[in-house]
Order: sequence, then C-alpha cells, then structure tokens
Amino acid sequence: MVHRTCPSIRQPFVNKNLSIAGMFLFLGLLTLWVPLPAAARSPQDRFIRVEASSFAYEPGVITVQKGARVTLELHSRDVVHGLFIDGYGLETRAAPGESNRLTFIADRSGIFWIRCSVTCGALHPFMLGKLKVIEPGFALRPLALTVVLASAVLLLPLSTLAQQHKSIKRDK
Amino acid sequence: MRLERSEALARWLFILVLVGVPAGLFFATWQARQRGILVQAAMPENGGWSPEVLEAQVGVPLHIRLTSLDVLHGFAVGGIDAPHVEIEPGKISETTLVFHQPGRYVFYCTRWCGPNHWRMRGVIEVWGDSNPMPEVKPLYLQLGLDIDAVHRTEIVPIVTPSAAHGAALAAKLTIPEKYMLKETYLTHSPEQMWRSIRGESWAASLSAQDVWDLVAFMFFIQTSAQNLEQGEALYAANCAACHGERGDGRGDMSAYFAGGDRADADDAEHPLGHEATPPSNFTDREHMLAASPALLQGKIVRGGMGTGMPYWGPIFTDEQIWAIVAYLYTFQFDYGGLINE
Amino acid sequence: MHIELTALPGVKAVLRNRWWQFVLTLTTLAVFILAIVSGSVGTPVGSRNFAIVFVWILWWALLILLAVPFLGRAWCSICPIPAPGEWAQRGAILKPPVSNRARPLRRWAARWRNIWLQNAMFLLVALFSIVILTQPAVTSLVLLALLLLAIGVSLVYERRTFCRYLCPVGGFIGLYAQLSPLELRVKDTSICATHAEKLCYTGSAQGYGCPWMVFPAALKVNTNCGLCMECLRTCSLDNIAVNIRPIGDDLQRIGIGRMDEAYKAFIMLGSALVYVFVLLGPWGWLKRLAYSVGTLPWLGYALGFLLVLLVALPGLFALAVWLGNHLAKARGSLRRSFVTYAYSLIPLSLSAWIAFTLAFVFANLSYVWGVISDPLGVGWNLLGTADWGWQPYLTSLTPYLVSLVLMIGLVWSANHVAYLARQQLSPARALRQALPVIGYCLVYTLTLMGVLIL
Repeated sequence: MVHRTCPSIRQPFVNKNLSIAGMFLFLGLLTLWVPLPAAARSPQDRFIRVEASSFAYEPGVITVQKGARVTLELHSRDVVHGLFIDGYGLETRAAPGESNRLTFIADRSGIFWIRCSVTCGALHPFMLGKLKVIEPGFALRPLALTVVLASAVLLLPLSTLAQQHKSIKRDK
Repeated sequence: MRLERSEALARWLFILVLVGVPAGLFFATWQARQRGILVQAAMPENGGWSPEVLEAQVGVPLHIRLTSLDVLHGFAVGGIDAPHVEIEPGKISETTLVFHQPGRYVFYCTRWCGPNHWRMRGVIEVWGDSNPMPEVKPLYLQLGLDIDAVHRTEIVPIVTPSAAHGAALAAKLTIPEKYMLKETYLTHSPEQMWRSIRGESWAASLSAQDVWDLVAFMFFIQTSAQNLEQGEALYAANCAACHGERGDGRGDMSAYFAGGDRADADDAEHPLGHEATPPSNFTDREHMLAASPALLQGKIVRGGMGTGMPYWGPIFTDEQIWAIVAYLYTFQFDYGGLINE
Repeated sequence: MHIELTALPGVKAVLRNRWWQFVLTLTTLAVFILAIVSGSVGTPVGSRNFAIVFVWILWWALLILLAVPFLGRAWCSICPIPAPGEWAQRGAILKPPVSNRARPLRRWAARWRNIWLQNAMFLLVALFSIVILTQPAVTSLVLLALLLLAIGVSLVYERRTFCRYLCPVGGFIGLYAQLSPLELRVKDTSICATHAEKLCYTGSAQGYGCPWMVFPAALKVNTNCGLCMECLRTCSLDNIAVNIRPIGDDLQRIGIGRMDEAYKAFIMLGSALVYVFVLLGPWGWLKRLAYSVGTLPWLGYALGFLLVLLVALPGLFALAVWLGNHLAKARGSLRRSFVTYAYSLIPLSLSAWIAFTLAFVFANLSYVWGVISDPLGVGWNLLGTADWGWQPYLTSLTPYLVSLVLMIGLVWSANHVAYLARQQLSPARALRQALPVIGYCLVYTLTLMGVLIL
C-alpha cells in the first residue's frame, strides 16, 4: 500500500487555481499579441542611421510606427558587424567605410531584438539592440499587461486564501 | 565472476575515454598541422598575424592555411595579382601562392578589424634565382615634390565643374596636344591646369567656370569607367573608413580621431596620429584642387605627413594607386553624362 | 496526482542496474573532457569552440529548460564532475562494496554543513561569468578546476561531499528540485522505524550507503537527494520508491526554512536580473565593463553585482516582509518570516532563469551544428556540418515564450506567498501580510519584462 503524503483534498483547490491562473496567463499574452486598430494617418518614411560598434548599436532602441517604410543605414565603427532583425528575419552587414542599407515595411508590430550576424569579437552573441514597431496606443500594452499581472497576483492568492481553511493541515 | 568482468570492462571504458578523447584530439590537431603553415589572424591589439614572416621559393607553391582568432579578417599580398581570401573566425581558409620574382612581399589584412587594421601586415621573403622586382622611384620623388607641404589654392570654381560641358567646349576649340598627355595630367594639379589654360589665347573667350569645366574634361579623359570603378572599389574597401564614403574626411572611424569620442580610447602602443590632423577632406575645394595626381600618389605611397595616414606603397600596385587617384577627383569634378552610370 | 514509477513493471530493475547509469555518466564525462580539451587548445572564437557551445548553450539549455524543472536533480546522477573521484574513492566503478575501507574518510566540518560555501562558489563563477561564457580557455580552466577539486575532495572526505557542499551548480539545482514532479521517497516510514540496520545509509552488498549523506526515511524534500538510486539498491525491505508528484509539492513541506537556502534564492534572483541587464540589454558599455576583468571599473561592477544580490534584493525583501508583518499585526521574528517567505521566490527565480535562457538559446543554437563537426574550430568536418552557418531559430516566438514563462513564475510565487501567509493567519490578515511580498515579486517581474520584451 502506498502511503500518500499529499492529501487528495488539495486537488480541487489546485484545479480551481490552475484555471484562474490559466485565464490570467491567457489574458496576459493577449495584451502583448492582440493587434490594436490600425493607424489612421498615412505610413511614414523613416531613415535611421545605425552605428554598430563592439558590442552595441547606436541607437540601441529604434522605435517606428507600424506600416512605416523603414530604411536602416548600418555603419560600423570598428570591425565588420551585421544586423539581423528577429521576427522579420532580415539581415545586412557593414564594414567601416562600407555602409549598407536595409529597407522594409514595418508591417508587424511588437518588440524585436536586433542581433549582430557577423562574429565581431568575444561578446558577439550578446550584441543586441531593439526594434519597436508601435501603433497608436502602444503604451496600452505594457499598461494592460501590468494590470493583468497585478490582478492575477491579487486575485489568485485571494482564491488560495479563501480555500485554504478547508484543506487538511500539511505534514510537519 | 560476472561482476569482476563487468567491473573490468567498465574500467577499460573509463580509461579509453579518459585517454582516448584527448589523444584523439591532439593527434588530429597534429595531423592538421602537416597540411601547411597555419597563419593566425588577430586584430593588431590582439597580436596581429602570427607568424608575421613567411618564406617561399620562386616558382614553388606556398600553401597557407588561415584562421582568425577574433573577428573577420582578409588576406592578400601586396603587388601581386591574387584574389583576396576571407578569413572567418574559427574557420580555416586556404590559399596557394606562387611567386615569380624574389624579393620582399607584404601581406596584409583586407577587412577592417579595428582602428589599427592597416597596421596588420606581415612579410613574405621570397628567395630564388630569377630577376628581382625592379625598384621604381615613385613619381613624386622623381619630381621632387614635397608631399608634407600644405597645398591650398585661392582659385576655385563657383559650382562643381562638369566634364560633360568641358567635352562640349573642347569639341568647339582647338586644344594643344600637351593638355591631352598623360604626363601633363600626372604632374599638374587642377589649379595649375586652370592657370595654364587661362593664360592661353585660344581660351581667352572662356569664363573662369568654363575653364574649370575644361580642366574637369582633361582629367576625365585620362581615366575610364572601368578605371573609376576599380578606384571606387579600392576606395570603399581601404579609404572610406577614415576619409568617409562621401570623401568628407568623416568616415566611420572618425570617432578615433581628434574630436571623436573614441580618441582617448586608443591605447598608447598604437597611436593613430589623432593628435593633430583628422583625415583629409576630399570635398574641400581649396585643398583638393591644389593637388596633382603625382602628389596624391606620393601621399598614398608614403603616408605619414604627421597624421595617421598609412603607407600603401607595398600594398597597392601602381595601377591600383592611379585608379584611386582618378576616383578621388570625382569628389571635385562631375563626370556625369560621360560615363554610363 | 501521485504515480509510483517504481511500481510499474521493469522500472525498478532499470533504475537498479548500474550499467545505464555508468554509460550515461561516461558519455557526459567524454563530452566534459572534450570540452576541456577543446577549450584549451581550440580556437578562441567562442561560437566555433565545442567548449562554449556545448557547455553554455546546449548543456545549460537542456539543464535549465528540461532537466531541472521536470527531473529535479537527475543531472546529478550522471554528472561527470564527481564521477572519477567517486570511482577512486570507492575503488570500483560498478562493483558494490565488498569490504569496509581500511581508512574511513573525513566528515565535512560541522559549521560548513550547509550551502554557504556553495553560495560562495556560485558567486565566484557568476562574477566572472561574462568572461567564462565567451572565452573557451577560461571555460576549460573552470571545468578542469571543478573536476580536480571534486577528485581531491573525494579522496579526503566521505561520499559526495563536493556535490553536497561545494558544487556551484548543486546549490541551485537543489533549490529548484523542490519544484520538480519527480521525487524519491520512502514508501512507509513506520517500516524504517523498526529496521535496525538502516542499510540505505550504511550500505550493503548490494550498494553504497547514500552518497549524499541523506537518511532516506527523513527525506521530505528533494533538495539534497541526487537521485543516484543507491538506496533503491540497498534497501532490503523494498521500501524506497520513485514517484511522480504534483509540481512544486516540496514547497508545502519546507517548514521554517534555512537562511543559506533563502540566500541562495536571492543569489539566483539577482544574478538573473543582472545578466538580463548586462547581456540582453542594448548597453554596450555595460557589457564591456562586465568583461574587463581585473580593471578598476570592473571591480566596481563586481561590487555592484554583490551588492544587488546580497544586500539590495534581500534588503528590499526584508522590508516587504516587515511591512507585511506590520500590516497584518503578525507576531514572530522578522528573521523567521524572511527565511520562510524567501522560499516562495523559488518559482520566480527559476522562471527568470528560464526566461533569460530562452532569450538567447534558440537564437544561437545553430552553432551546435558547426562544433559537432569541428569542435576545435580548426577546419575539420567530421559530420559534414562544419559550414552550417548561424541561423537563429524561433525568433518570432521567443518574446512570447519569455513573457509566458515570467508570468507563470510570478503567479506561482505570488500564490505561494498567499499560501504561506494563510498557514499562520486568518484570510484577511494573511492578505495584508502577503501583499507587500507579492508586490516585490510583481516589481521584479515587471523589471525583467521591461528589459526583455518592452
């Protein structure tokens, strides 16, 4: 006979909490993923000069409007560097004196890491920048996420607290 | 007994792994070394080329294996016509060189690998019986030009001289032979050409700008679309980093020169010469129009001049340097309309 | 949900068999030696060297994404570091003990029978981690040093003293093992009470006494059990079982807790935070600073690192706990509450490390193909994959995975804080006690998310 050390009466408590947790997690992901209504104004043209040096990009964070036609001109200040955009999968590279341009339409919104695609020294895998493609009201996302998380960490424990007194006391 | 046999087997396996793995690796590494010299490339700050000196025999193929210890490098030998070899970090590239004349050749890095990239050079000593490379005195020495002297002109065009307009003018005028000679082109700065033409009677009716257009045309006919293309490619790969892709002296490396934010970051062992002078601005009319091709060739060949300008003499062939020089004048003259873009 | 794995047919026989364990250990040992040699004689370019790619990308990813969350300390049962030392100590690889050792080995000093030294070892590695992670020669040195240390300790001290009190990896594996769904426990403690010989601890002809110096009957949490299965082999009463149990089960059994383990939680929480800022942020000056080991500015970074991990994070937590106690008018010492609530940070810190790992592992996993054909980066092509270039994987998905993992960790930890509060107090007061601590977890998570995905 197996001596069970965890009381089965805890199960309904876990199940209910799991469903609440699942709901909040889903909501949380939604805040990041759900597309916001498209911009009313016409798409812009953006030209951004990006300077790469070991081991960062300048500017480190690039913010553009969704739908904009973006041209990144990559300059390198010391060795051959590359620029790869997560999510978009676009790549270019530049050497000092030999700059290169990458032109694309920022049709996907979100935050995308920019990575260096040419080995440029010891810290090369950590040479990162960020491309933020935002739409109007983009600030709502982190706000909504914070609200969802704050609610989750408030309501879920409340559920735990309410149910707790029904369970068997744990083993000492 | 079965236990003892299992234990023995287990011990042998352990010893096999303990000894076999390192042994296998060392053996394979030793094996690889038999296949040719391994030249390791590193940024000059990390040691540069090792080895720095290679030896070869005339006519005997020299097989070199190349790898990089840090960033992307490239390998080429100055003065001979062999393709550049890219050297990727942690990978091996191979090349075979054959020399036909004894002498000292310089091999160099062809991919920008930091502010001291141009210092990344080594030497190949080639021994043999055939005739050595002829020593040719560069033109600026033959002419006795002082390439360290400041050169400026007061006379400048109002707008960028157009070689196309100059061509149209030349078709209507009778221009003396000497203005079309290579020797004239090589030894005269645009300003000197301008002064010379200005003093001629057949040019009396021309405006100052017209004369500049003629000068532009005369400089243009000494080159060709192909020549300019070669010059542009060489400029982009070697000069643009400091002198700028637009020739304005503010290249991507400008952070390392006076006024740049990395000017102090350079270590004392490899000063860039950033103390006084930033790279030349080829779009500066007063400066460029006072320089003759021979002067520019001299500066490229010898470098220095109290600045961080490298010496390219052992690296470029004469043909390559003249191509670069021809390209440099495109920052002053407009050749549009005469070359197919 | 509670499944006794060893009750299923064949499972116990497999777990008792020493060969599978030996083969796996020998494999990890071969990879380990390959890493040491590659690191020392291979190319200094990290992405083309087996040592860096296999240790810090592949092994680390497998460990923190799969092995630890799902199998707890199972890695420890096949870890190569203590293996040669243990075999030397036992005088055998597969043979169970046949006679007592002539000279009993020493016991680790009582005042160090905790994980403070493990905390220190982890901090030592963590301080230099930027260099270790990117320089093959340094990785090789660290691995070799750990191997030699483990062998040395095994020849002087009893059993797995190295694993228990010194290994830098062991500190956090033990902590996170409390969350895993896998456990090894005694089936019925009353049977052990009447068993005089306690072969599980002393050893028998079938196997060695617990190398982890754990008394199985007293094993309540996974922290110190290395899943080596010796007790499964020696127990003459068939009273040991390997079970699958609900995730995080151990957290309910901690009781008061210990300060060394509490501090381990802060060390892991803080190091994840610092690494996200330094390695995954867009600040090049910070990366160069953390890399420039030996310089005065780096000393400043090191000091800052230690302050964040050992002073700032615990300090703020203590403040949150104190505030909670104050609001709830709870009695009891601050120290006791601090230690008890610190355990609720374990899910959060594991999720932080998983998130950090996810953020760089898939993007750089493709380096594996190159190094399995050319481990030293010297131009070999053993399997034909040497020229497979860098190809980032799953880049569209990664930010969502990262955020999901962080959210799960946050919710789990917050829930556990509430649970702990409820153990002592009525619901209303428990809520007040829990809120500041939950707030601490929320702020930490939002900070990480801010740098990572916003």
